[in-house]
Amino acid sequence: MSEHHRVDTGAPEPEAAAPATPYRSVIDRRTTLAWLGAAGIAVPALAHAQSPNDREKAVVEGKSAQGYGTDPEMVKPKPAPWPRLMTKAQLQTAALICDFILPASGKAPSANALGVPDFIDEWISAPYPAQLADRPIILDGLGWIEGEAQKRFGKSLFDAAPADRAALLKTLTVKPSDLAMQTPHAFFRRFRSLTIGGYYTTQPGFKDIGYIGNVARASDPGPSPEVKAALDAALTKLGL
Amino acid sequence: MAKSEPYDVIIVGSGAGGGMTAYSLTQAGLKVLMLEAGRDYEPKTETPMFNIPADAPLRGVGTPDKPFGFYDATVDGGWQVPNEPYTIAEGSEPFLWWRPRMLGGRTNHWGRISLRFGPLDFKPKSRDGLGYDWPITYVDLAPWYDKVERLIGVTGRAQGLFNTPDSPEGCLQEPPPPRAFELAYARAFAKMGIPVTPMHAAVLTKGINGRSACIYSTPCGRGCSIKANFQSTTVLLPPAMDTGNLHIETNALVYQVDLDKAGHAKGVSFVNRVTGEHHSAAGKVVVLAAGACESARILLNSKSSHFPNGLANDHGIVGRYLMDTVGTNVSGQIPAMEGLPPTNDDGMSVEHTYVPWWGYEKQLRKEMSFPRGYHIEIGGGRQMPSMGLGGLLGGDVLTTGDALRDQARRMYGSTMSFNGRGEMIPNENCYTELDPVVKDKWGIPVLRFHWKWSEHETRQAGHMVETFLEVIDKLGGKPSRDYSTDGKKAISKGGEIIHEVGTVRMGSSPKDSVVNQYGQAWACKNLFVTDGAVMASSPDKNPTLSILALSWRSSDHLATLAKRGEL
Repeated sequence: MSEHHRVDTGAPEPEAAAPATPYRSVIDRRTTLAWLGAAGIAVPALAHAQSPNDREKAVVEGKSAQGYGTDPEMVKPKPAPWPRLMTKAQLQTAALICDFILPASGKAPSANALGVPDFIDEWISAPYPAQLADRPIILDGLGWIEGEAQKRFGKSLFDAAPADRAALLKTLTVKPSDLAMQTPHAFFRRFRSLTIGGYYTTQPGFKDIGYIGNVARASDPGPSPEVKAALDAALTKLGL
Repeated sequence: MAKSEPYDVIIVGSGAGGGMTAYSLTQAGLKVLMLEAGRDYEPKTETPMFNIPADAPLRGVGTPDKPFGFYDATVDGGWQVPNEPYTIAEGSEPFLWWRPRMLGGRTNHWGRISLRFGPLDFKPKSRDGLGYDWPITYVDLAPWYDKVERLIGVTGRAQGLFNTPDSPEGCLQEPPPPRAFELAYARAFAKMGIPVTPMHAAVLTKGINGRSACIYSTPCGRGCSIKANFQSTTVLLPPAMDTGNLHIETNALVYQVDLDKAGHAKGVSFVNRVTGEHHSAAGKVVVLAAGACESARILLNSKSSHFPNGLANDHGIVGRYLMDTVGTNVSGQIPAMEGLPPTNDDGMSVEHTYVPWWGYEKQLRKEMSFPRGYHIEIGGGRQMPSMGLGGLLGGDVLTTGDALRDQARRMYGSTMSFNGRGEMIPNENCYTELDPVVKDKWGIPVLRFHWKWSEHETRQAGHMVETFLEVIDKLGGKPSRDYSTDGKKAISKGGEIIHEVGTVRMGSSPKDSVVNQYGQAWACKNLFVTDGAVMASSPDKNPTLSILALSWRSSDHLATLAKRGEL
């Protein structure tokens, strides 16, 4: 058992105490227009197509997804142009898992507040090889979890008791010896990796992890005496 | 400058070679037409300075559309360019060919590492009997390195290391101080008796010529809107335009050098990549600087009664002696770097220090299993978080919640990436030629590549891995990904380091080279080549600084001959 695991179980788990709230997609109108445009949806359909319920319809009616091309606008990037593939239900399941991985903590917002489920939807919907490889891993995994919730609790993951939901997700965090659990674990590992990436590549993520760069400076003073002292102590221990 | 044919000189390509040639020739008063295959590009308005991953699709990760990431400066390019295929010969090892399609070419995104070749590097055959000597010595090129460093701005400091030239007083700019991870690895290498030295990087730490100093943020690979690093588009082309002697045409893909009845160059033919229209332009001198492989392709496609085998290729040397840099990588996670107080490690984005090759004397005494050396480029520190972070925070038990946040804060910035960059010796199995069947969108025959690393390179790659494992171990760390100590498995693919050179090599005799020491074709005196194609060897030192120095030296000679009426 690792140190992290002990820390994890030593305190009440906020994710277990919180009742589920429906995930509110942070997808903006500009993004919706972009993927609808790419899918070739006629303009009158726009008014009806902005809720996630109509996502599948957009995909079915649309052309095959295109990438952003070899010369995209970089200074003010346009939203990813491909249509999103997750159903409203899948997005909701994804949000419950995101909230298990990175709920709000102190001043740090939750992954859901930063729209990470929508980012994962963008990711698995992309027409590029790496993302196409992730698509079945993520969508099958979301399906497995919902199936497991029905099997165990007779309810969706959303409607399950918070403690039940947390217990189910918790089983995925440990490398399984059970062969049948290896695919669900691999899904969770990948989903968590996408959640971490999606979270920490934002301004609030920078703040939480302690990235203080990306600001113009007149000079580079190098590491502070405090950093140098901490480093020196660590290296001296190694005999360096 | 308006169109004014015939031009004194037509330059094909606008990167390091073409940009420097245009800079030099326009200052000498020659009327120049530059033809660039890609689109026009303006770093001042097009560089995504300070954008963060969350602003980009897929958090900015690389895709086939943008292989080095969404924000990489490369426009319309990558390992494949739409409508412009290349092929790999049957039985060949893989070869990759990186091409951009933009003004300034690869100088917009390049790594900015600017190392002079040393005295030994110009005489490899004399050194150990392998490869080929250059027709020039270090002393011939040294004054041009001086001029280039003063013009473009290069960091560094004299260290007195063997075959790793120092620059005269006043050439180099002050390097920024090492960051914490650079201080750490220096102590591990010191234990191994290997010196670490300030990087020579084409980044300004002091503003010059209307260009700002580095602001120590936002990566160089995106380009730089404040002109703090070297790009042809910010440093060479604007002053060339200011002379009034330069006309640039973009989207002009040159495929042939046109000859007059006497077999002299009279201009070039090109196709507009957007309209598909074919054009020709007339010039008294033609300079090829399209990139080593593309320049060879143009020569091979320039067939005539004078040169049925391709221009200046009676001996069949054009396209031969293709070289790249040997590369491999091992990353390590270093617990000693965990939990350091938050610090701004953005730096000048190029490495602040590096490890020059330390084994020259041993190799001269034949005490190593491979004949040529490599230097080490090391990445690390608290870089802007990327999608790679998820991989770092793995393990058998996957943390969540506050435990995950703690783990992320602790481990962030604790990895180092060790990258070897080594010399390749030219061999008979590495070359390019025209594919007998495949043509591009406009009907022009494309290149077919042949590649096979020799044991000189694979053993060197194996040594790189052993060295990296040793230094990671000394730092108390562990490799963070799978690795192989078998050099054949560890070595990069041909072309992957994007240092392809040698296909139109220079020499002291028309019998075994295509151009003379000034890049002037032996078989066609008003044809010059000023890109990396002319290199007779491919030392471990990254080629761009040498391309700049060689092209300036060649252009200066060209201007002298032109003024004397000798072309």
